Amino acid sequence: MGFSQVYPIFETVRLSLTNTHLVRRSSDFIGIQNYITLLFEDVHFWSILRNSILFVFAPIFTQFLVAVPAALVLNQRIIFRGLWRGLIMVPWVMPVVIVGLMLKWILDSNYGLVNYYLRVIGIITKNINWFGDQKLVYLTIILASTWKGFAYPTVMILAGLKGISVELYESAKIDGASGIQNFFYITLPMLRPILLVSGVVTLITGWTKFEMIYVLTSGGPGFATMTLPIYMYINSFGSFRLGLGAAIAAISTTIVMLLAFFYWKYLMSKD
Amino acid sequence: MRGIHIDHNIKKVLLKFLTYGTLVAIMIFTLVPFAWLLVSSLKDQTTLFRGNPTWMIEKVSISGYRWIINKDIGGNILIPLENSLVVSILSSITTMCFAVSAGYAVGRYRFPGISVFLIILFLAQILQGPIIMIPWYRIASFLRLIDTRLILIIVYGTITIPISTIMMSGFFKTIPKELEEAAYIDGCTKLGTLFRIVLPITTPGIVATSILSFIYAWNDYQYALILTSSLRSKTVQVLINDLIQAMGAINWPGLLAGGVIVTLPVVILFALIQKYIVDGLTSGAVKG
Repeated sequence: MGFSQVYPIFETVRLSLTNTHLVRRSSDFIGIQNYITLLFEDVHFWSILRNSILFVFAPIFTQFLVAVPAALVLNQRIIFRGLWRGLIMVPWVMPVVIVGLMLKWILDSNYGLVNYYLRVIGIITKNINWFGDQKLVYLTIILASTWKGFAYPTVMILAGLKGISVELYESAKIDGASGIQNFFYITLPMLRPILLVSGVVTLITGWTKFEMIYVLTSGGPGFATMTLPIYMYINSFGSFRLGLGAAIAAISTTIVMLLAFFYWKYLMSKD
Repeated sequence: MRGIHIDHNIKKVLLKFLTYGTLVAIMIFTLVPFAWLLVSSLKDQTTLFRGNPTWMIEKVSISGYRWIINKDIGGNILIPLENSLVVSILSSITTMCFAVSAGYAVGRYRFPGISVFLIILFLAQILQGPIIMIPWYRIASFLRLIDTRLILIIVYGTITIPISTIMMSGFFKTIPKELEEAAYIDGCTKLGTLFRIVLPITTPGIVATSILSFIYAWNDYQYALILTSSLRSKTVQVLINDLIQAMGAINWPGLLAGGVIVTLPVVILFALIQKYIVDGLTSGAVKG
């Protein structure tokens, strides 16, 4: 098992220093040329990096925005609680390819349900092209990632809520604290570790899985929603430049480890 | 006195209203896209492509389902479906063989190097996707395993074994040690204790973990995309996305039907184990 994790790292780094080609079978050592090409000569690289960071951090924020109220509600004594708890996991277990298909259908610019409803309530007069507009497509992707991913933090927060002892709330009640005060002074601080862990997990999975954006837009229109993992895929298996692809993978992995590290540090330092 | 009482009641009603309001909003957000996929897959061409879509299915039509199954002029989903089933079942079984034994060791015994082991497990979670895709492609072509089901089973195993081990160790930790000690005193061997006491108690955990591994393999797209290409080993996920790329807006009914066929197995399987997931996910991530 150690082999299956450690070997690929060394192999990727080694390949990134060569001009290995998928079909031509050439493989010469060229030093850091691939990195120079990417960082200084590639006109798209920096916007791709910016996209990658945006598409990883924005969904963490929006997912918590849905997950915290969802967990609070599902922790109350409500009817059919078990059923609702199960149903919110549907997006989480759905295959990402089908999520892509489903969202393309519901957001379709001709027959989409969302466009229809927005038209009916008068927010828009003309159907919106959710995937074709250079700016709007960002919103579409963040919404899609939120839908797909919010169940995980919800379950984590639910588990965290169970761990908060009732006595804390009871003594707060004696002190005359309101529900809102309870939330900000007891619930939220007690949930910190959970928010921290699920945030890191969301960050890592968001970064290492390129499928969501790939099936929705393939990085387009143009390079608008291109991320490092998709760029790696296109370079390695689309234009067969394995060496260059490996360099992108190496940069990408270094960044996700740094991001995870700093995110962790930042949240720890707030104690 | 009376005023305060009424005030309290109003507050209670308001809270209830807020709770159920939030619940409804979240459920609409969660389920409408999926429900719309289901409903649309049962509509015929003419009702599907209307300027003002409706939830009513005037006449149930299975033409989409017929198309996606059809071998000659349709989506030909049956062979990829079989590939996906074989790969997912076998990788789930393989995973459990490793995860049960390793999980028991991690959950029960303290041995030197256990923290190193746990760190490796954690790193295994980070080091997925882009960093290992190119090396795996090269390993697969070196072993002449490109476009086989076997390479998928191996790759999924390397990903699901670590997480399943963490989950299983969480389940094993919940068994009181005294129970095992009592069996031991009564003359049960270590192996006997494992098979007669520990495994029966953790059966729900084993079922939940193996279903999760199955779902992981079933749902994967990125590894299957680079490692498979022909009907010999192509999974349903690759097939569906190929079809989307190839015909996109032309054949919505067929694609939507395919989406339902691919999604229903995982949703049903997940429903069976749903209540163990909260325990499994959290014991793995928080305590482990």
